[in-house]
Amino acid sequence: MVTIPEKPKILLVDDETAITDNLAPFLERSGYLTRVAADGEEASQILPQYHPDLVILDVMMPRLDGRELLRKMRKSANWTPVILLTQVGESSERAMALEEGADDYLNKPFDPYELVARIRAVLRRAQPGEPPLSSAPRLVCGDLHFDRRARRVWKAGQEIILTPKAINLLEYLMTHPDELITRDRLLDAVWGWDYPVGTRTVDTRIAEIRRVLADDPVDPRFIETIPGNGYRFVGRVGAQG
Amino acid sequence: MKHAWRWTAALLPLVIGFALAVYWETQPGSQPVYVLKADRVALAEIFGGICSLILGGVIFARNWLARRDRKNVDAYLVRSAQERRQFILRLDHELKNPLTAMRAGLANLGGSPDESDRQAALTSLETQLLRLSRLSADLRKLTELEQQSLERTSVNVSNILEEMVELIQAKPEACERSLSLSLPQAPWPLPSISADRDLLVLAIYNLLDNAVKYTRPGDRIEVRASEVEDHVVIEVADTGPGIPDDEIQNVWDELYRGKGARSLPGSGLGLALIRAVVERHGGKVQLRSRIDQGTIFTINLPIR
Repeated sequence: MVTIPEKPKILLVDDETAITDNLAPFLERSGYLTRVAADGEEASQILPQYHPDLVILDVMMPRLDGRELLRKMRKSANWTPVILLTQVGESSERAMALEEGADDYLNKPFDPYELVARIRAVLRRAQPGEPPLSSAPRLVCGDLHFDRRARRVWKAGQEIILTPKAINLLEYLMTHPDELITRDRLLDAVWGWDYPVGTRTVDTRIAEIRRVLADDPVDPRFIETIPGNGYRFVGRVGAQG
Repeated sequence: MKHAWRWTAALLPLVIGFALAVYWETQPGSQPVYVLKADRVALAEIFGGICSLILGGVIFARNWLARRDRKNVDAYLVRSAQERRQFILRLDHELKNPLTAMRAGLANLGGSPDESDRQAALTSLETQLLRLSRLSADLRKLTELEQQSLERTSVNVSNILEEMVELIQAKPEACERSLSLSLPQAPWPLPSISADRDLLVLAIYNLLDNAVKYTRPGDRIEVRASEVEDHVVIEVADTGPGIPDDEIQNVWDELYRGKGARSLPGSGLGLALIRAVVERHGGKVQLRSRIDQGTIFTINLPIR
């Protein structure tokens, strides 16, 4: 007997029907079984029966908003991967998205193909039933320790000093290990905007992180350059309570 | 100090009295003694009169100040209401064109039997969509700029200028203009300034990009920087067509597009972004222009 690999199940939660009406068929065509919920309240009723492999959550919704639902899920040890759709792209909102246990986030308006790329990456990384790296308060990679609540980093027991932007950048890379991340995506995720010279800005900060971590770009322990493309965190990252 | 004259006026009688006392004290010989006589009735009248005068004066002064403040507030409210109206009009204008193009594109998409027409309509729809996304991103950037905290470090302005000029020169339009950069070396190079590097890069790139965009092939663009007292001054001068006098006031405003700029692509937010970045750093932007001679943009940034 041949078993057909099951299609991953997605729950799409957004109150804007213009978005769900167009996005749901697109996700279906991209190979995902998709169900739609209009707000957090409806989503929390569907969750226990539908058991999706991934939830796409809009932040601003009536009744129960995306952030509250995410908090509720994580509190009850529901580790279903979540991609947040942030509405205004406020930097505070982006910083909070990861802290509250979202696996990734995307600023509206976004390219639907980009969303599918993120879904693939998140599903590949996710370990069913286990908390994602992004919800770990501390990240460890060899002798590198990252305390995310205190926003402090240690290497070989020695605290290292990075600018706030570099800390956010390192956090994004460490919570998405082994994934090719383009400069544009880093700009969008950490800076929240893109501009013609923005990619240079990313390179400047990566150089700062490498200098402080004494990471050799030719033989990297942490951050690898993918020529013409972006960066990849190559170290093995673990979570620590 | 702004209210120095008021305090001077208030203290003047005391100072005069004191000066007279010192003067008389130093006079040789015995001092004459004056005796003032008054009955209770007169004392009460004088005392009451002085109190009324003081109170009346205070009340009058307060009313006068309040009226002046109210006038200022009213003028400010009128001005900001005007600015808001203007902004909405401009935003409406910026939205109208892509939306009209998209409706026409959709009509072509549904109505035309020709496949190549439909492809063209699709391409055009996508271009307009990206244009609208760009506009929304730029507007967001601008509002975020006004609130976000600056990540100040010690920034080498010369480095940024060299890097940005190099980047601009890589643009095809820049090859048709002569672009030069002059940085001071003697007696010492530009000092580093305390600033948010990413934002400064954004502002300087926009300023150079602007100069390339609004000049013609063959024009000169000169980028200069100097240290003036406790400021670093960056100038971008061009031999472009210049900006009419009646537009100079408005070019820094959000979404404003001068007559000469309307045919060129852009969101009309570039200069507003530059101004927002510079003002967040406690600096100033300025511009001088002469029709058919050119324009000079000046950015003043405090070193500390």
